[in-house]
Amino acid sequence: MRPGNSRFVAGLALLAACGTGAPGRPGALAVTDDAGRRVTLAAPAARVVSLAPSLTELLFALGAGPQVVGRTTWCRYPPAAAAVADVGDGLNPNLEAVAARRPDLVLLYHSPLNETAAAQLARLGIAAVLLRQDRHADVARHARLLGVLTGHAAAGDSIGRVLDSVVARPTPPAGVRVAFVVWDAPPTVIGAGSYLDELVTLAGGANVFHDLRPASATVSLETIADRDPGVIAILADSGAVVPPVWARRPEWRAVRAVRAGRFLVLPADLFGRPSPRAPEAVAELRRLLAREATP
Amino acid sequence: MKWVVLGLAAAGALGAAVVLGPAAIPFAELGTSPIVRDLRLPRALLAFLVGGALATAGTGLQGLLRNPLADPFLLGLSGGAGLGAVLAIALGWGGPWGLPVAAFAGAVGAMVLVYRLGLVGGGALDPRTMLLAGVAVGAFAAAVTTAIVSLAEASQLRNAFLWLWGGLSGASWQTLAVLAAYVPVPLAVLAAAARPLDLLALGEEPARYLGADVERVKRRVYLAASLLTAAAVAVSGVIGFVGLLVPHLARLVWGHRHRALLPAAFLGGGTLLTLADTLARTVVAPRELPVGIVTALVGVPVFALLLRRWGAP
Amino acid sequence: MILDVRDVTFRYPGAARDALAGVSLALDAGDFVAVLGPNGSGKTTLLRIALGAVRPATGEARVAGRPAHVWGPQELARAVGVVPQREESAFPLRVRDAVLLGRYPHLSPWAPARAADYAAVERALSACDALPLADRWLATLSGGEHQRVRLARALAQEPRLLVLDEPTASLDLRHEMELFERARLLAAPAGLAVLVITHHVNLATRFADRVLLLHDGRAAAQGRPGDVLTRDTVERVFDWPVAIERFDGAPQIVPLRRPQEAR
Repeated sequence: MRPGNSRFVAGLALLAACGTGAPGRPGALAVTDDAGRRVTLAAPAARVVSLAPSLTELLFALGAGPQVVGRTTWCRYPPAAAAVADVGDGLNPNLEAVAARRPDLVLLYHSPLNETAAAQLARLGIAAVLLRQDRHADVARHARLLGVLTGHAAAGDSIGRVLDSVVARPTPPAGVRVAFVVWDAPPTVIGAGSYLDELVTLAGGANVFHDLRPASATVSLETIADRDPGVIAILADSGAVVPPVWARRPEWRAVRAVRAGRFLVLPADLFGRPSPRAPEAVAELRRLLAREATP
Repeated sequence: MKWVVLGLAAAGALGAAVVLGPAAIPFAELGTSPIVRDLRLPRALLAFLVGGALATAGTGLQGLLRNPLADPFLLGLSGGAGLGAVLAIALGWGGPWGLPVAAFAGAVGAMVLVYRLGLVGGGALDPRTMLLAGVAVGAFAAAVTTAIVSLAEASQLRNAFLWLWGGLSGASWQTLAVLAAYVPVPLAVLAAAARPLDLLALGEEPARYLGADVERVKRRVYLAASLLTAAAVAVSGVIGFVGLLVPHLARLVWGHRHRALLPAAFLGGGTLLTLADTLARTVVAPRELPVGIVTALVGVPVFALLLRRWGAP
Repeated sequence: MILDVRDVTFRYPGAARDALAGVSLALDAGDFVAVLGPNGSGKTTLLRIALGAVRPATGEARVAGRPAHVWGPQELARAVGVVPQREESAFPLRVRDAVLLGRYPHLSPWAPARAADYAAVERALSACDALPLADRWLATLSGGEHQRVRLARALAQEPRLLVLDEPTASLDLRHEMELFERARLLAAPAGLAVLVITHHVNLATRFADRVLLLHDGRAAAQGRPGDVLTRDTVERVFDWPVAIERFDGAPQIVPLRRPQEAR
């Protein structure tokens, strides 16, 4: 059984132990979201619409699956999410479809457009929370926050602790030098601001572009060639071609790792975003990097 | 003399493009470095060729449309290229050359469409109709492109816009060879149209009385300029500003006669884009700026300077 | 015979009537001919047919003995210099460069302008008394100066036939006279044939050897001004009562006022 599932079962058990309906705490549940908005619920949310795949995953991980009454078209994990009603897009949400699900809490991806949407939902009397997960610390914080809002505070705390410990693990010595290429024209790589950079570091690798502050940045091809990473990591959906199509272009052959065909393909479902399955992702990445280190 | 200065500027720009870059390569190693040989040198030459092609196309179009605001991308070519690129990504076409080929095909499609729309009764190309058709075709293509992007899974297609903003990251000896083989023909067509373009500036009727085969010239100039632009977009995305501004810069110094203006625009455009690309690669190293932004930031002060010195009458 | 238009008829597509019907016009070297008539009488159409821009339905037009439509644009521009009615320059030009454009019919696409071309420009500027303007920008010229430059450009083509299409349209009295005087001077000695299309009947009659008066596409009068411009003809064509006075041997049209209503 995969680690994620066992946690899910544990969460369910915790929920069963607490009984259905609102657990203990009397009084309002108050949290501050990523936009700095203070959101208060009188009781744990019974009907939640999640408008971001990462948040849907987190809700199920908390054991709040049964409380989820709406998700986006792109929410594909965990598989149980498929049974939940699809309310459309998350980046530009269809508020009518969302409201039709009669939620008492809506979770939105934090963006300027969604701040407007949150205000509109507030006018409809629906509590809206804006969250954005760029790094694993965000996931830990959100796990606790959502745990409180959905009445699974203990599960949220538990997940938060696991993630904190993963992130706080002493860094093993840097082994394989990695460049994460997100796009080929113009060449775009992952920098220190991204959770992928975190994962690489935790897995014992070194991101050659760790000196770049943003999560991703465009760089010159000659910089990639000059920094000479041992391996090129790419995010791919299932069925992706290795080596990638752009590796056949003549200018990319100037990069040694491309010439030698040293590619690391990371499945998008595990590596596509920061998630509660971070320990799994780190373990998988460590395994792949170890394979690269041995000739 | 003006030409000497321009020649030196061009040589200087090419030299700087080879010597400078985000990868610190000692001067002594320039000759042997694979980065210089495989990346910087072809990129410098490609930047020169693309800049020259765009500036020459812009000069031709400004003469054809009798409009100093004409620019190679005014006639819908960038919209067509963008649509082609997005379709290529969305449908997963064609391997490593899929994007450039699709962008080229999209640009040529827009060219043909604007040509057909621009033909008024009796087979004569009307510049004003062409301008309107170009704007309309461009807007339509852009709308379809946006629709595709908004409906499909975001990430891949958002990256298509990054490509479209323009950049010479795809430069290689192969790309350079293809462009270098392709470019001389449309350039020659424009060069042969130099005198007729001078005449066309007076208006179509006076041009005809002075011996210009007006319809033939319009057709040829439009097709040559569009084909140059389509190739430039296929290779390096939409790099704005070069095709609009360099002809005016050249006119400030060389006057209006196209026999001097076209070669001056070619060299000037090449120099500008090569310089801009070097700056794009080095100013925020290791990061890289989109070259279209740099051409604007470099071009405008140079233009202002020349305007004060030589003045527009 | 430099220009020989015989019996041409033409109707624009979709028009109710012929633009020209059965009109002929012939010029020899040294002739100064004026084509007159109210708006819509077919003057512009006649010019287009004469230069081969459109083909007549019947009749033919020949330039220097060859049918007008077989002339290539560049070779025709070497034989015929036209000062068009309307013109604008999209970009600034100096006078000398503007007149140099008149040499383009003589230049091959790739070869540069030769000394002979620059000499022709100087001669043309001098013949139009425009040498002092040579280094000025076109945009700074007055209407009269502009016209002289355009005339110089047509002369730089070294044509055998010079055509002036409504040349006095925006000129004042002095410049009108100067233009006609100059055109007349050019015609006689150089053997240049001059064809002027104009509204200005009175000037035409004083300078032209022959006139062609068009009315609704037909030739209402053709021949020497003194002979053919009778009061009846003129009144019919211009649909207004006139008196014909003589000045300098040339008929001068004096439009009459409508008789006052008796009260």
